[in-house]
Amino acid sequence: MPSQPLVGARLPVQVSEEKYSAALVTEPQGIRVAFRGTISTINPGVVLNPFVDAVHDHVRTHGASEVRVDFRELEFCNSSGFKSFIHWIQRINELPANGRYRLRFLATSARKWQRTSLLALSCYGVNTVVIDG
Amino acid sequence: MKTERKEATGGHTIHLILRMKPVWVFIDEVRRFVESFCACAIPGANREAQLALAVHELMQNAIPHARGDDVDLLLEVDPAADRVLVSVTNVCTDDEYNALRDRIEGMYRERDALAHYVKSMGQTPTSSRGGLGLPRVRFEAQLDLSVKYAGGRVTVEASGPLRVPAIQVSGGKYA
Repeated sequence: MPSQPLVGARLPVQVSEEKYSAALVTEPQGIRVAFRGTISTINPGVVLNPFVDAVHDHVRTHGASEVRVDFRELEFCNSSGFKSFIHWIQRINELPANGRYRLRFLATSARKWQRTSLLALSCYGVNTVVIDG
Repeated sequence: MKTERKEATGGHTIHLILRMKPVWVFIDEVRRFVESFCACAIPGANREAQLALAVHELMQNAIPHARGDDVDLLLEVDPAADRVLVSVTNVCTDDEYNALRDRIEGMYRERDALAHYVKSMGQTPTSSRGGLGLPRVRFEAQLDLSVKYAGGRVTVEASGPLRVPAIQVSGGKYA
């Protein structure tokens, strides 16, 4: 069965801008948040921080221990866009220890920036960030 | 690989110079061009993604300050000297230059690029733009930053070796 963006009681947990999109999808393996395109607007946090907050609330509600953050279709993310992932880690770290969850980033070697950006992010989110790929 | 590089560059220094109006949507196109250009011009160096990232971040800093005036991009690759330079120039006030100079000097009070980058992640507000681009260039692109000011125009330079080892870190070390 194909993955579908999750539609909650009021709003779907997804965003779509001219050059990028992000959506929360539910799959047998758990929750996956798929990013596509190029995050390079002047201040992506205006769009992405509320999206991250909505995902965070959904994950807490469902008690998941891990979210897969899928970068495999993400061409590029500027430094301002990366702040939304820092924001996400900060939201997780605000939770009691037993309520925290991990962010497992699915990366692709075809986008070389992903490796170094995620390595740096893993040093900020020490117990939060896991990198696959 | 050495043969390929010699064929592509003839062993000579490569200059790529672009002058453009400060239009935000140009940044993605210039980044893509620089990445494909470097992959062609310096095959085997495995530097194209890092140089493209540096170009993107420096242009992103320059364009909001350019006040409609041209932004100049220079990419200089010297295979023989094992050096690469990315520089971006835009109009700038004295106060803006002084703030940028102080910021770059402050960055280098922390000698470890990753430690400074991670510290910046925790200190810059996540609700507004700015604050991470230069630390990102320093660590992820493995380039050193400097700034010059002349005739009302500021030039931010990012330079370093053409050939660099892959970044290796263990998560958590710098937290």
